[in-house]
Amino acid sequence: MSTTTEVRRVTPDTGAAVRVTPSRTRPTAGRVVAHVALVVAAAAVLLPFVWMVISSLKANNDVFTVPVQWIPDPVVWQNYVEIWEKSDMTTWIKNTLILSVGVTFLQVLTGSFAAYGFSKTRFPGRDALFMLYVATIAVPWQAYMIPQFVMLSKMGLSNTLWAMLALQTFSAFGVFLMKQFYETVPEELSEAARIDGLSEYGIWRRIMVPLSVPAIASLVLITFTNTWNDYLGPLIYLRSPDLWTLQIGLKTFIGQYNADYALIMAGSVISVLPIAIVFLMGQRYFIEGIATSGLKG
Amino acid sequence: MATTTSTTAPAPAPARGARRPGARLKRRNALIGWTFVLPNFLGFAVLTLIPVIAVFYLSLTGWNVFGQAPWVGLDNFTRMLGDASFHRALLNTLYYSGLHIPLTLVASLGLALLLNQKLRGVAFFRTAAFFPYITSMVAIAVVWNMLFSPETGPINQFLDLFGIDGPGWTTSATWAMPAVVLVGVWREMGYFMVLFLAGLQTIPRELYEAGRMDGAGAWQRFWNITLPSLRPTMFFVTVILTIGSLKVLDLILLLTDGGPGQSTLVLSQYIYKKGFVENDFGYASAVSVALFLLCLVVTAVQFVINRRRQD
Amino acid sequence: MKRPLTATAGILAVGLTVSACGGSEPAADADGVVDLTLGTWASTSAPEFQLLVDDFNASHDDVEVSIQEYDTDNYETQMTADLSAGAAPDLYAQKTVSAFVTYQSGGQLLDVSDVADGLDEHVAGLGSWQVDGSTWAVPFRQDSWFLFYNRDLFDAAGVDYPDGTWTWDDYAEVAQQISDGTDADGAYQHTWQSALQGFANNQTPGADLLSGDYGYLKPYYERALALQDGGAQVDYGTATTNSLTYQAQFGKQKAAMMPMGSWYVATLLAQQADGEADDFAWGLAPAPQLDESTLDEPVTFGDPTSIGVNAAIDEGKVDAAKEFLSYVASEDAAVALAEIGITPAYQSDAVTEAYFGADGAPTDELSRQTFQVHDTRPENPVDPKIATVQTIMGDLHSAVMSESTSIDDAIAEAEQRAANEAGITG
Repeated sequence: MSTTTEVRRVTPDTGAAVRVTPSRTRPTAGRVVAHVALVVAAAAVLLPFVWMVISSLKANNDVFTVPVQWIPDPVVWQNYVEIWEKSDMTTWIKNTLILSVGVTFLQVLTGSFAAYGFSKTRFPGRDALFMLYVATIAVPWQAYMIPQFVMLSKMGLSNTLWAMLALQTFSAFGVFLMKQFYETVPEELSEAARIDGLSEYGIWRRIMVPLSVPAIASLVLITFTNTWNDYLGPLIYLRSPDLWTLQIGLKTFIGQYNADYALIMAGSVISVLPIAIVFLMGQRYFIEGIATSGLKG
Repeated sequence: MATTTSTTAPAPAPARGARRPGARLKRRNALIGWTFVLPNFLGFAVLTLIPVIAVFYLSLTGWNVFGQAPWVGLDNFTRMLGDASFHRALLNTLYYSGLHIPLTLVASLGLALLLNQKLRGVAFFRTAAFFPYITSMVAIAVVWNMLFSPETGPINQFLDLFGIDGPGWTTSATWAMPAVVLVGVWREMGYFMVLFLAGLQTIPRELYEAGRMDGAGAWQRFWNITLPSLRPTMFFVTVILTIGSLKVLDLILLLTDGGPGQSTLVLSQYIYKKGFVENDFGYASAVSVALFLLCLVVTAVQFVINRRRQD
Repeated sequence: MKRPLTATAGILAVGLTVSACGGSEPAADADGVVDLTLGTWASTSAPEFQLLVDDFNASHDDVEVSIQEYDTDNYETQMTADLSAGAAPDLYAQKTVSAFVTYQSGGQLLDVSDVADGLDEHVAGLGSWQVDGSTWAVPFRQDSWFLFYNRDLFDAAGVDYPDGTWTWDDYAEVAQQISDGTDADGAYQHTWQSALQGFANNQTPGADLLSGDYGYLKPYYERALALQDGGAQVDYGTATTNSLTYQAQFGKQKAAMMPMGSWYVATLLAQQADGEADDFAWGLAPAPQLDESTLDEPVTFGDPTSIGVNAAIDEGKVDAAKEFLSYVASEDAAVALAEIGITPAYQSDAVTEAYFGADGAPTDELSRQTFQVHDTRPENPVDPKIATVQTIMGDLHSAVMSESTSIDDAIAEAEQRAANEAGITG
């Protein structure tokens, strides 16, 4: 992805994270211990997820036993087969993907654009307007859910994917996040670009966007995850089964088999895996040293 | 995305001449500023701001969701003063936030620092830390409740090995809130780690190298370089974390549903109950405004502190 | 590259807010058939709606009812949103009395007193849908709480089956005996507040949720706590933290007795048929009573379910909607419902016959008698304050059953809150 020439100049070996960090490695006993500690901690953190996977491979009545049964016996694949065969999984995944990708793209685009306006340009009322953005985060959604729903219904948007796209795209969160990041970029850089005759739009696109790759990565990951996992929004706005997202679809499907926890866990595993993959791909952009490292040297 | 192959910005020009723009330039700049903000602001204003403003109006009415909203003035707010359940919810919310905010902050920053290093399998560990956040809340609640089970749960069985008689966790009025906080920290630390990781990338490595050359130890480098450089991220994280904690809902609903008794009842849940269960949307709106003001005060304090540190 | 991108975003933003398309529904068909929509929760978990609609459509050429499905767990939330946006269906099912009160007082239901007047006296539960002397919804289903018991486990423990004369003390005693004599628990009380309070509220003379005086709950809670402390029933903390389901507790023979609503009959039959529940002999007995005085007509409680007409319905559709309501409360509909294990609001010998005709249904005389003879009272009185009171009583329940608060303290706190939050003073 984008690295500016000047960045390349400073760290000529930009590439994998491992190579970027300087060689201050001391392969001591301390490091080994730290590594072991990390593995143990990861296992502890993942324990509930492991339990989910195990439970999804059990018959429902074996899920809750005393003491906990850690190895499913027999291993039951039926839950996955059942969800796959009897449910409308492909439609749900398609809808969820449309929403997650669409919302993420628009949020990053308009959010980072607006953030530039809030952090690098000056206009009267700028700070007040920004406070307004942040303030709305503090109002609980369940308080204005109904007025918002009535409004969107009047616009004819309820029961369309557009409603969800519109609601989640223009969140104050993305603007706030990107603004905070832009503030870490030294003003000198923009000044220099202005002298070179770059317009503000040019600075945003050619300097800010490339420099904010880690921030964009975190915004992408968080927005994607939140949209993917959103339940209440689609519940209120998406009523036709052919518009259902994965969360609504799975919940409804599982609801038919009341309190079938093995099936619930299978559904949860299915809905988690795609985001885990997205995260694995996205986290590579948290690489020390690609951003402003060359600017202050 | 070949956005930057034609990079124009050459070597950082030292021309930092302070040029004060004239009035025309000022107006032009304001216009440019607005063009940046407008695409997002339009959507934001129509879809979020208008309904939010409606909440403020509705908090002064006896709205029952259907039809008319009779004006009641400040009645809802005076009612709040004498409402013991509201007081309980408010105290519980502060209790939860008071524990959850610092613990999550420390845990997520620690994780980010740890996982920002050259480390074998760092991608795996980062994903593992983020996993609690992406896992479905329903599954999380079920699993943690089972772990917490007073008689049969693994946690108390583990404590039993050391002769400790474990508490009732989610079934005990005293321990339910700490249990909820524990799950909250566990769930959100990976989320805020992601934000910190992004923030850490903005710190020029040269600063550390210079620090090391000056003989600064790891702790000094953290205190004098990392923390100050991380300030904008830290500010963002504390604001989002604070508001998120004061608004906590899902976690409570699924883990304890506010119980036992009212021991984990929080404001957001109270709003939900008053609105959607008891259909008292006017009062629910008023409680929302109270919650909003609480968030606003805390956030404003953070803004001021942030501004002061900045100067 | 920059410009097209921002332009797209702008157009999208505008497009999203402007592209309103009028999606008004057709009033009546060209061929004279009136189309009605009926809002229900998921038909897969509630097959009765599809059955009613299919049977009605088959016998009425001029009306076509179609189901508009809502999420089961979030039915009220979705329905509230749709009603307030004017997008709700012509008819909608009433899931709980407390939500019904909300809809009625909010002017969201049509007065259907004329339909109610035309029904005969066999229809139970009408009173739960009456406000100010008018009827606002018509019941088609009336569940009651009974005692389910596992005959095989009773045999194994060498204990006599219930004989229809039990008080709660008899029940507790037998529960303890079975626990001591078998591997199973004697009883299972599900975690819902109604599993205990429903009986206390209706069996205790003079007890009233709206009285603000809840001392009458004490003996019921003392008994329940004694049972869980004595190991005769799973304690509340274990049940909630392990997400125990009543279907598994009774269906997998973990408990020998369980007070539960009659809806469980159909579930149990289905689960025994497909192997999800164990294969064992079971029966129904009347709910245990507070004392002997009510044994002739045992007092129990139950949630009625009904259908109401949206007040915003098209003028031309009202008659057809009322016709549908008359149908759902008829004996024909009741027999059809009973055949799939649903307890209809309409009660008669033919209905009982159909109900026990199902494969695997208990055949003993007491089960039949239990189904036919009972004084079923509404779980919740019709009152605008009921939702608030139920919240308070729910908190009381979890506080007491988890043993984190003493019975007396919890009751005192509930009474105080009833006064404070609902304006009820004892």
